[in-house]
Amino acid sequence: MTITIQRGEVVEVARGSQRRYAVPGMGLLDSLGVVWKHWRESFRQNRDFSDIHGTFTEQYPDERPNLPEAYRNMPILLYDDETGHELCTSCFQCQRICPPQVIHMTQAKDPTTGKAVPSVAEFIIEYDACMSCGFCAEVCPFDAIKMDHHFELSTADHASLTVYKQELNRPVSYYQSIAPTLWEEAKAGAYKKLQGNIKRRPDVIGIAPHLVDRIAARRAELAAAAAAAPPPPPPATTPAAPPAEARKLTPEEKAAKLAAIKAANASKQSGATPAETPPATAELSPAEAKAAKLAAIRAANTAKQAGTAPAAEATPAPVDEKAAKLAAIRAANAAKQAGTVPAAEATPAPVDEKAAKLAAIRAANAAKQAGTAPAAEVPPAEPAPVDEKAAKLAAIRAANAAKKAAAEDNETERN
Amino acid sequence: MLKTEELQINIGPQHPSTHGVFRMIVTVDGETITDLKPVFGYLHRNHEQIAEQNTYLQNMPYTDRLDYFNSMANNQAYAMAVEQLVGIEVPERAEYLRVMMVELTRILNHAGALGFLINDMGMWQTQLAFGMREREKILDLFESASGARLMCNYFRFGGVVRDLPPDFIPRLKELLQAMPAFVDELERLLRENEILMQRAEGIGILPRDLALAYSVSGPVLRGSGIPYDVRKAEPYSVYDRFDFDVPVGTVGDVYDRFLVRIEEMRQSRRILQQVIEQLPDAQGGHINPKARQNVRPPVGDVYARIESPKGELGFYLVSDGSGKPYRYKVRAPSFINLTPLGDMCRGYKVADVVVILGSIDIVMGEVDR
Amino acid sequence: MPRLDATDLRERMARDLPGAVLEAVPLQVAAAPAHGPQPGAFMTSDTLVAPSRLVEAACYLRDLLGYAYLSDIAVVDYLADDLFELVYRFYHVEGGEGLTIKVRIPRDHPEVPSLTPAWPGANFHEREAFDLYGIVFVGHPFLRRIYMWDEFEGFPMRKDFPKQGDKYIGADE
Repeated sequence: MTITIQRGEVVEVARGSQRRYAVPGMGLLDSLGVVWKHWRESFRQNRDFSDIHGTFTEQYPDERPNLPEAYRNMPILLYDDETGHELCTSCFQCQRICPPQVIHMTQAKDPTTGKAVPSVAEFIIEYDACMSCGFCAEVCPFDAIKMDHHFELSTADHASLTVYKQELNRPVSYYQSIAPTLWEEAKAGAYKKLQGNIKRRPDVIGIAPHLVDRIAARRAELAAAAAAAPPPPPPATTPAAPPAEARKLTPEEKAAKLAAIKAANASKQSGATPAETPPATAELSPAEAKAAKLAAIRAANTAKQAGTAPAAEATPAPVDEKAAKLAAIRAANAAKQAGTVPAAEATPAPVDEKAAKLAAIRAANAAKQAGTAPAAEVPPAEPAPVDEKAAKLAAIRAANAAKKAAAEDNETERN
Repeated sequence: MLKTEELQINIGPQHPSTHGVFRMIVTVDGETITDLKPVFGYLHRNHEQIAEQNTYLQNMPYTDRLDYFNSMANNQAYAMAVEQLVGIEVPERAEYLRVMMVELTRILNHAGALGFLINDMGMWQTQLAFGMREREKILDLFESASGARLMCNYFRFGGVVRDLPPDFIPRLKELLQAMPAFVDELERLLRENEILMQRAEGIGILPRDLALAYSVSGPVLRGSGIPYDVRKAEPYSVYDRFDFDVPVGTVGDVYDRFLVRIEEMRQSRRILQQVIEQLPDAQGGHINPKARQNVRPPVGDVYARIESPKGELGFYLVSDGSGKPYRYKVRAPSFINLTPLGDMCRGYKVADVVVILGSIDIVMGEVDR
Repeated sequence: MPRLDATDLRERMARDLPGAVLEAVPLQVAAAPAHGPQPGAFMTSDTLVAPSRLVEAACYLRDLLGYAYLSDIAVVDYLADDLFELVYRFYHVEGGEGLTIKVRIPRDHPEVPSLTPAWPGANFHEREAFDLYGIVFVGHPFLRRIYMWDEFEGFPMRKDFPKQGDKYIGADE
């Protein structure tokens, strides 16, 4: 049975019939010659594809591998450098396509209306089960999920391989640095879609979590700058909340504002002169939120009554951040309206730094607007988890602004 | 006459020369093997069951894990099966890209397989290191095109995931330039090496008729003298446009399988050169833009097969009209090529078992599925 | 290169092996969904062979038509139709398309004659089918589990095999 094939022929491999050496042992020596040549050449570094000799070894830890752009390792999430907005809109495409089902996410909701927002609240990827297929990056219509080049992921802590949004977030500039041409292709569409989505995102929703405070602070600064334009301290103008404050209006906040307005009115009537008192750093029992609230209320009341300097100490209890927030806001408002020098102490609670931060920012703003000199002191923050740093930053900024305002005030007084 | 007794011993499951977790129950009479039963399943993960729970596209990266040496070939067989089931056209250029990748994979696989074979013979890592170095270059190319070295996941229904990076073809040309020197050297290193010949010639003979009856495929079948190559027998993709020969052995022993693989690397290089020549004229992009990836094929069944470096790799798919395959069956070459192992080893020495096993070239990921 | 297709095979086999070829019944494949598009019935174009005549038909393919290469044996569990279908695929060494014969056996009595005595290459295919689907190949010399361990109960590829829970882990956990 002979078999013919198209475009080619069946060739029988030559077994020994075409031997070059008649003397036994010569074949062995010949092959040893090959080994010898390789050994001799192995001292030469050579990464030329057209040469088969020399060493191709990369001295890895010292020498970083030159990864191609398309290289894919683990998925990451992108956010815009400028606005801090995440590109992800939680469309669930990647979660659906993921072959080992390691992507999980929840959609963000507007806190006031409760409606879904094109933004992601939490995003989890189980890196330990991820098979790096890259489907998630392929299907993502918003170019929000991309494959990272970072490959040194070994860890002794298995739990850390369940990665949350906080650790998945990377700025667009990072992706651009590892895959310039790929990003160039996706860039225009990605930004266009992002602009559309930002419009539908109220407030700080959709901003990378570690940037929320920075962005909020910046917004507050802008607002403060805008507010500083109308001249001296109209202490109790309408408590037109700066944009930073205009967002979440939870019932508690509303109540706080109401209280503040009342306090302001009271202080207006009393027309007391501001007196300077050193910031009291008395620590209340931190366990009880009630105490903090009480302190705040007391502070507000004293401000109301005397228009003098209350030492509004808000030591928020770590258990109840809401109350702490409230207290801080009240203290701030009271200070604002009374035009006095409260020592608004915001000791951020370790559980919810965001609220504390927010309060600090608000306090700062209030102080600025009042044009008085509150010594907003930021106590050396409690065991600061990762992004308390930002909170501190905001608080420091607030303090600085307040100090500046105080200096100006002093000058005007002297004059 | 000395009275002897038969003895049953285990080779494996944990043994460096079994290419994975593979066990052989060997009955020996002295040093001579009288029976051998392969036992496997240690890596069994019910791949087919997993695939039936996944959508068609989700299975693509899982096929990578079958024969992890040749993920590109697995991708191609699976993509072809789904394309035939749904009726997706593949642009010409995409077909060329596919052929290019699969032929590169063939070189890569044979370079590795021969290295391991020689390693099994006791020549240690010498040849393996040389083969691995060439393999690294090819893996670099794969990485630049697909993003991964081993689990490429490069193919999609209707084409490939992205076009080649600009420096791919120049680097490939360089690689092909070096290829003859590499293959010649490999041949020189081993072809007339007395050690290799002692261990390979006349060992593990699988006669022609038995090879056919055992349904072995790939280099094992061709080593036994049957020029059956799916690329020629039932040309798929654009393989009918290339000139290449089919090497066959004459005896069917380890040495023949070794020589067939060396010759196949040369033929793959020939195909690659023709691909590079014809690629610029090829029409269409890297993927059919109309091809949907979340396919819902009509009710029906399909069997698509390719000549993977290890043999005939086929996918049998049955669709019930939903987005997930109703039945997904892999015809794994490594698995079927193991069928005659007992017959091939009978009458040889224990030390020959690892050599014969090495010459079959199995990957346990594919055997156990 | 031989050029036989499925219809040729059916005609030839019906002529040369009277009674071996069965009329194919359309298969439902999966249970019809409550809503959404209804999948059509699956009508195969391949030759359907009576289980008792399988070896005869396979040898006919090999010895008279020259399709000596048994490439694949696949089992499909058509739960909705209450049957197993075995798909035997043969190729000619000279090339060309393959020929397929199919055998349908009831799910409650999955027995089919083994091809292994005549075709040693069917050995692992049949063991795999036995292991994962529980098809009994009568006449197989070594019909044992090939992937799962010998003590394993049940056939994991069957469509009614429970997909969740693991009795080896234990129900208490």
